[in-house]
Amino acid sequence: MDSTATTALADLVRRAQKGEETAQRELIIAYQHRVAGFVFAMTNRSDYVEDLSQQVFIKMIRALDRLQAPAQFESWLFRLARNTCIDQLRRQKLRRIFLPFGDEHENIPEPPGAVDTEELDALRHALAQLRPQDRALLALVQEGRSHAEIAETLDTSVAAVKARLHRAREHLREHYQPDHED
Amino acid sequence: MKTEDHAWRDLHAHAAAQLRADFADRTLRFARGPAAAEWEQLHTHAAAHLRPGFAVRVLRAARALPGGITLREQLTFGAATAAICLAAVVLFHARKANQENERNLAGWQQLANEADDLDQTL
Repeated sequence: MDSTATTALADLVRRAQKGEETAQRELIIAYQHRVAGFVFAMTNRSDYVEDLSQQVFIKMIRALDRLQAPAQFESWLFRLARNTCIDQLRRQKLRRIFLPFGDEHENIPEPPGAVDTEELDALRHALAQLRPQDRALLALVQEGRSHAEIAETLDTSVAAVKARLHRAREHLREHYQPDHED
Repeated sequence: MKTEDHAWRDLHAHAAAQLRADFADRTLRFARGPAAAEWEQLHTHAAAHLRPGFAVRVLRAARALPGGITLREQLTFGAATAAICLAAVVLFHARKANQENERNLAGWQQLANEADDLDQTL
């Protein structure tokens, strides 16, 4: 993002922080597709996309006045998205422990190839084999976040991010197979 | 050509016919791992699941739902509860102590009266 775009974004965030509804709407529209993509990469569930994206943006509106540096908005938003998805996955895991039979009803897999190309289907399958933390890492990289920003988001060091990212990429490549041959 | 050679050639032809026309490209594509285009497809697929009017719905929901309780509010609520409990304990203790004092005083008063009566009798 160039400096003009960064300044424009910071202005928009400041206006949204003051409670200007037009600015809040602009922010949502500007980021809704990216957040939806992030949520989908994290959960691999199309039916979660709208609900979780909505939760992310509601949290964003409510917590916006607590954001100290408007220039850090993107990192902050994707941190919210990551935490929301991880919470959802934890809740899902807990629900599976207490409701063992709920799994079949809840976790209905989307038929492969129903809407996807072979490559997208392979990517979804490969992502599903990774730990949520690794999926978050790869999705954050795809969002253009730097190693330093990711380290801040995940509350870890840049070196640790690089090592984990390397491993996550290896695993993704390992599971990225046509027709899920692994 | 020998029959055996024929057989081998047929076998190879049969095996080769099982491969897709784009076998080499496809193999290379998957060997390289997912490219930016696949991630782009993933985003497009996800974005298609947002119903029109998403931003308006989010803003409406954010206004309609009661705000979450902040840490400050939780602390204030906890402190207020503790203060009320402490006040109740102090009041209860003071009342009990007063009642006890009054009973003791009445006992002593009665004892003093009885002592006076005894003095006068003597």
